[in-house]
Formats: sequence, C-alpha cells, structure tokens
Amino acid sequence: MGQLSDVLTAISHPTRRAIIGQLANGPARFLDVAKPFDTALNAVTKHLKLLERAGLIEREKRGREVFISFRGEPLREVAGWVHEYERFWNQRLDQFEQYFKDQKKKGKKK
Amino acid sequence: MSTSTATIEFEFERTIPAPPGEVFDGWLNPKIPGNPWNLAEKLLLNAQVDGFFYWLIKGNSHYGRFTEIERPGRIQHTWMSRSTLGEETMVTLTFKRQGDDTLMTLVHSGIPDTEAGRGHEKGWNYFLNIFPEQFRNGSRKEK
Repeated sequence: MGQLSDVLTAISHPTRRAIIGQLANGPARFLDVAKPFDTALNAVTKHLKLLERAGLIEREKRGREVFISFRGEPLREVAGWVHEYERFWNQRLDQFEQYFKDQKKKGKKK
Repeated sequence: MSTSTATIEFEFERTIPAPPGEVFDGWLNPKIPGNPWNLAEKLLLNAQVDGFFYWLIKGNSHYGRFTEIERPGRIQHTWMSRSTLGEETMVTLTFKRQGDDTLMTLVHSGIPDTEAGRGHEKGWNYFLNIFPEQFRNGSRKEK
C-alpha cells in the first residue's frame, strides 16, 4: 500500500501529471522538463522527487548528462482503484474544458 | 429488493474559461464536446424539471430525470445505467463565477461500489494510452 499511496500523491498534482505527459514522449534532461513550467527550478525538483519516490520516473546518467524517463508500471496498481465513472467523467470534463479553451483562443485570434 | 450495497461518490472540478451562463448552456447542448449528450448513438433529451433523458452509447443505455434546472448555477438529474445496477444515482453540477471563468463542480453520488465498477482491466489501458495525453495541459483541479 506504500507505493500506491506514493503514486496517488504523485499524480494528484497537475504539474506532476503534466511532467508525466511530457516524459511519456521520451526521456528528457532536467532543464527540458522544467522549461514548460512557469515555476522555480527547485519546485520542479520537488515534483520530480515525488515522482521518483513513486517509481514513476528514473534517472539515467549518459556521459555528463542525466536523462529522466517515465516508468508506467506503478500505474498498474492505481488503475485497479479507478472506477469507470471516474474515467468517464474525467474524460468528458477534460474534453468540455478543452472545447472552451479552444473557443477562447479562436476568439482572441479574430 | 435489498439496498445493502455500499455506495460511493465522485467529485470533479474544472475551471472553464467562459461565464457561467455559457458553460451551463454548453453542458446541455449535445453539439458541445465533453458533455454526456455529445456523441450519442441515440439521444432523447428534455432538460427541464421532471424532463427525462435517454442516452445510448456503445450499446449501453442510460436513463435519467432532471430534478433541478437553475440557470446558470445548478443542474441535477438522476442517472441509471447498467453500471449503476439499476439503482438511481444522482449527478449534481454547479457553476460558480470565478473572475472571468467558471468553477464547475460535478458530483456523482449513490454509485454502487462493486468490483465490476472498478474496471481493473480497462484501467491499465486507460492510464497507458490516454492518461499522458489527457493531462498534457496540466489544468485539472481535483480535491
């Protein structure tokens, strides 16, 4: 249960979920991970530590550089705790929110 | 009929970049992506108090009755489907102005807490395939 709690804590924050989304595209260096976020580097470091504790990322040294990569396996345990209505409403609400964001962007372009 | 099955409740929050009236109307408009009525295979929707809906998607029928319609602040309706095991569950939406945006809250309560509902098999695929995409914008708010 320890790891499950760590994983649930790790994915409870939007910035950490965004980091996971970013790393799902492939390994990245720390500064590349931090780049999209309007937050202090030490805050990103803290987010990465929580993700690492949950086993969702790992660091690999390549020459002089350290690459951070995503590990999906710990999410398997979490998946068993996700009710179909959680998935359903989250997917629907994400789409709904995105629609209004897109509309706002279109409005600004006009 | 026994009603001893434990029930669970889910609560979700989103900040929508539009005023409450627009968000309220969007939620009841089947043409807007993301609301339950969008992408229906068959839809009957009468969004007024004591109006009913029938919504068919992927062969699964959903039924409900609107119990509150208070534009622009609140919508409440019952929700029955195969997944609710015939029990009448309740969906409550509130829309609160937050500056130029709307804080939208959805509570789905009275859901029978069964193993089947937890969807072990589907969950893994969900996380692996959809999760990173869904959260790319990092804009979700949860409690």
